[in-house]
Amino acid sequence: MSSQQDDLKETDTEARFEFKKEEKSAFKSEKGLTEETVRVISEDKDEPEWMLERRLRALEQFQEMPMPTDWPGQPDLSEVDIDEIVPYIRPDIETRGGADSWEDLPEEIQDTFDKLGIPEAEKNALSGVGAQYESEIVYQNMQERWEEKGVIFCDMDKAVQEHEEIVREHFMTKCVPPSDNKFAALHGAIWSGGSFVYVPENTTVEMPVQAYFRMNSEGMGQFEHTLIIAEEGSEVHYIEGCSAPKYSAFNLHSGGVEVFVGEDAHVQYSTVQNWSKNTYNLNTKRAIAEKGGRMEWISGSMGSKATMLYPSTILKGRGASDNHITIAFAGEGQDIDTGAKVYHNAPNTKSTVESKSIAKDGGRTNYRGLVHIADGAENSSTAVECDALMFDNESTSDTMPYMEINESKVDVAHEATVGKIGDEDIFYLQSRGLDDDDAKQMIVSGFIEPITEELPIEYAVELNRLVELEMEGSLG
Amino acid sequence: MSTKQLESLSEETVRRIADERDEPEWLLETRLNALSALETAELPDVIQTPGRRWTDLEALDFEALVDPLNQADETERTAGDDEVVVLPFTEALAEYGDVIEANFGSVLDPEHNYLTALSVALFTTGTFVYVPEGVDVEDVTVRAEMNSRSLFSQTLVVAEESSSVTILESIETGDAEVDDDRYFSNLVEVVAGENANVQFGSLQNLDADAYTYSLKRGVTDTYATIDWIESNFGSKLTRSDIETDLNGDGSESQIVGTFFGTDDQHFDINARVWHQAEQTTADLVTRGVLDDVARSVYEGVQDVGEDAWNTSSYQRENTLMLSDDAEADASPKLIIHNHDTEASHSATVGQVDAEDLFYLESRSIDSRTARNMLVEGFFVPVLEEIAVDEFRDDVEELVFERLQ
Repeated sequence: MSSQQDDLKETDTEARFEFKKEEKSAFKSEKGLTEETVRVISEDKDEPEWMLERRLRALEQFQEMPMPTDWPGQPDLSEVDIDEIVPYIRPDIETRGGADSWEDLPEEIQDTFDKLGIPEAEKNALSGVGAQYESEIVYQNMQERWEEKGVIFCDMDKAVQEHEEIVREHFMTKCVPPSDNKFAALHGAIWSGGSFVYVPENTTVEMPVQAYFRMNSEGMGQFEHTLIIAEEGSEVHYIEGCSAPKYSAFNLHSGGVEVFVGEDAHVQYSTVQNWSKNTYNLNTKRAIAEKGGRMEWISGSMGSKATMLYPSTILKGRGASDNHITIAFAGEGQDIDTGAKVYHNAPNTKSTVESKSIAKDGGRTNYRGLVHIADGAENSSTAVECDALMFDNESTSDTMPYMEINESKVDVAHEATVGKIGDEDIFYLQSRGLDDDDAKQMIVSGFIEPITEELPIEYAVELNRLVELEMEGSLG
Repeated sequence: MSTKQLESLSEETVRRIADERDEPEWLLETRLNALSALETAELPDVIQTPGRRWTDLEALDFEALVDPLNQADETERTAGDDEVVVLPFTEALAEYGDVIEANFGSVLDPEHNYLTALSVALFTTGTFVYVPEGVDVEDVTVRAEMNSRSLFSQTLVVAEESSSVTILESIETGDAEVDDDRYFSNLVEVVAGENANVQFGSLQNLDADAYTYSLKRGVTDTYATIDWIESNFGSKLTRSDIETDLNGDGSESQIVGTFFGTDDQHFDINARVWHQAEQTTADLVTRGVLDDVARSVYEGVQDVGEDAWNTSSYQRENTLMLSDDAEADASPKLIIHNHDTEASHSATVGQVDAEDLFYLESRSIDSRTARNMLVEGFFVPVLEEIAVDEFRDDVEELVFERLQ
C-alpha cells in the first residue's frame, strides 16, 4: 500500500488537474438555453420522443422557477447566467458512446486521462471505468466477468437507446423529478453523458466501478446524469471523480444522481470532486432505499467557486439505513455549502451523518442538513455530527442543520463543534521537530482521517494530496 | 408581508394613547414613527425550508385581535429595596424622563419588524426598571394579568455600572370576560452597563385563547452579564425570541429556556447571541416537553463576529416527546467568523427512556407516575440553572400541573 501511495504522491497533483487542452469539438451548441438548443441536443443524440418530451417539460419548469436566493447564508449565484453557458459540447472523436480501449481515443484526450491516472486505476482496482470529456462519455469499459452476470455499466446516452424501458421508468421520475429545484430542472432539460449502472438481484460487484468527468472547455456547462439501480440483495460501489482546469469565465456543473437501492441491497457512492475555482457546482443527488436497503454517501468537496450539494436519502422501507460521510475544504474565494438530507419514512430506519469541514484564507464552509422523521417512522434513530476547523480570521464556518421530528419513538441527536487549530497541538508537534506547516498539515490529516479511511486507497491518497496542496504556501 | 391596514389603527388612536398617559413629545414621535413603519415592516422571520414555513404568523387575524383603546391589565410591581426604581412608564417619565429617553429603543429597534412596531405604537403597560450604579437588588417582581382582547407591554431595564439586579416577570390571564382569541405582545430591552449583572426571568402562562409574541433583547457593556430565563407554558401560539448582543469585552450571557406544550399548542422559540467583542461567553440551554398534538420549533443562533477573539459559545437543546402526534423541529445554528473560537451545539429529540421507565415500574411505581417523575427529572438540569428559588418553584409547579 505504501509504495502505491508514494507513487501517487510523486505525481504533481497540480499538473494532474490544472492542465488544459486546446478545445476541439465535433459539435458545439450555441450559448444559452432555448427550446431549440434542447431539440438540437436530443436530435444529436438520436433520442426517443419521450426523452425529448421530458427535456422540454423540464425546460418549462426551469423557466418558471426562480433562482434560489432566499436560503439563509446561501452562496451568491448572481454570476450564474445561463445565457453565457455553452450547454453541450460533443468532443471530436469517431467512436460515439465510448471507446472500449484507451488507445482508440484521440491523443489529447488519452493524454488527459493518463495525467489523471484513470487507466492505471482501472488496471489495478476497478471493475469498470467510464470517462467523460466535456458532454459525452468517451471511454467505457466493464470487465467481462461482471457483464456475464448481467451487470450493466454504460454511459447514459447509450442506456437510453439500449435499456429504454428501465431508463424510462426511473429517469427523473420518482427520485429526482425536475420540479425538485431550478438546477434539477436545468439538468433535466440539457443533461448529457453520465453513467448507467444496473446490478441484478443478489449480485455483488466486488470491485468498484468508476466514472471520471473532465471539463476542458471554457465557459461550458456539464450536466451528466447518473442512474444506479441495485436490485434486491445486490451490492455495488460506484466512484465518481471530477475535474476541470481554471479559465477566466465561469463554468457550471449541474449533475443529477439517482440511486435506487432495492430490498436488502447495498450501494456505496463515493466522490472526490475537485472542480476548478471558477466552477459553480450545483447538483442534485438522491437515493431511495427499500426495506433493509443500505445507502452510503462518501464525498469530498474540494474545488469549485461555489458548491450547493446536499445528497439525500429517502429511507422508504422498514429497516433501511443511510450513512453520510462528507468533507469540505474551502480556501480563498470558495463557498462550499454542503450537507446531507435524510427522510425517515418507515419504521426502524437508521441514519448517521459525519461531516468535517476546513476553512482557510477567506473560504467559507457551511453544513446545511435536514433530518426528517415522518409520523409512523417509529424506532428510527439518527445521529448527526459536524466538526469544523478554522485556520484564520478571514474564513467563515456556519452550521445550519434542520430537524423535523413527527414521531415520538425516536432517537435523534445532533452535535456540532467549531474550533481553531489547537496552539497546544502545534506546539507539541513543533517541540518534536516539525516545522509549523508540517505540524498544521499533520493536524489536518488527523482531523479528516475518519473520512479518508472510508475511501478506497487511491481516493484517500488523492484527497490527502489535494488537502496538502490547498494548504501549501499559505500557512504560517 | 403587505401591511394589514388595521381599521382600529390610526394616528389618532396612537395620539390618544399617548395623550391619556400624558407622555412627552419624543415618545409620541417614537410611537408615530413605529405606526408609519407598519406600512413597510415585515412579520418576524421564521424558519423556512423549501416548501415549508414552520410557523404561520401570516394567519393571525390582527383586525380581530387588536383592540388598542381597550387595553386592560392588573399588574403588581414590587421591589425589596428603595434604591432600585420599578415603575410603570406613566409614573417614571416625570422623574426619569432623561434616562428613559436615552435608552428607550436603543437595544430593541421599534421598527425591527411588524410586530415590534405594532407593539411600540400601542403599548399601554410595562415597566421601567432603573438600577443606579453599585446598587445590588435581588427581588424585583412584576406580576401581570391580562384583562383585555389585546395587551401591549414594553419593559426597559437600565442597569448602571457595577449594579446587579434580578427581575422576575409573569403574565397570566385575568378574570375579565373576553370571548374569542386574544393577543399579548411583550417587548423587553435590557441595557447592562460596565460590570453590571442582570438576571431576567419570565414566565408566560396565558390561557389557550391567547396568541403571544415576545421579543427580549439585551446589550452588554464590558464585563457585564445578562442571564435570561424564559419559561413558556401557556398560549395557543407562542413566538418567543431571546437575544443578547455581547458588545463588551469579557461579557457573558446565559439563556435558559423551558417550555411544555399540550393539546394543540405551538411554540416557536428562538435564542440568539451575537459575540461582537473579545473574550465573550455564551451558554444556551433549552429543554422542552411536548404532549398530545403540540408542536415546537426551536432555533438557536450563535453568531461569532470577526472581532470576537477568544470566544466560548455553547448550546444545548433537548426535546422530550410524550405523544406520537406531537411534532418537534429544531435548528441550532453556528455562524462563525472568527477562528479563535470554541463553539459547540447539540440537539436531541427523544422519548422517555424505556429502561428508566422499566426500572421505576419494577419498583412498583405505576406507569403514569413513573413517566411523570421522569418528565420532572428531565427539567432538572435547566431548573438547576435558575438561581432564584421562587421562580424555580413556580416553574416546577407548572410542570407538575401539566402532568396531571
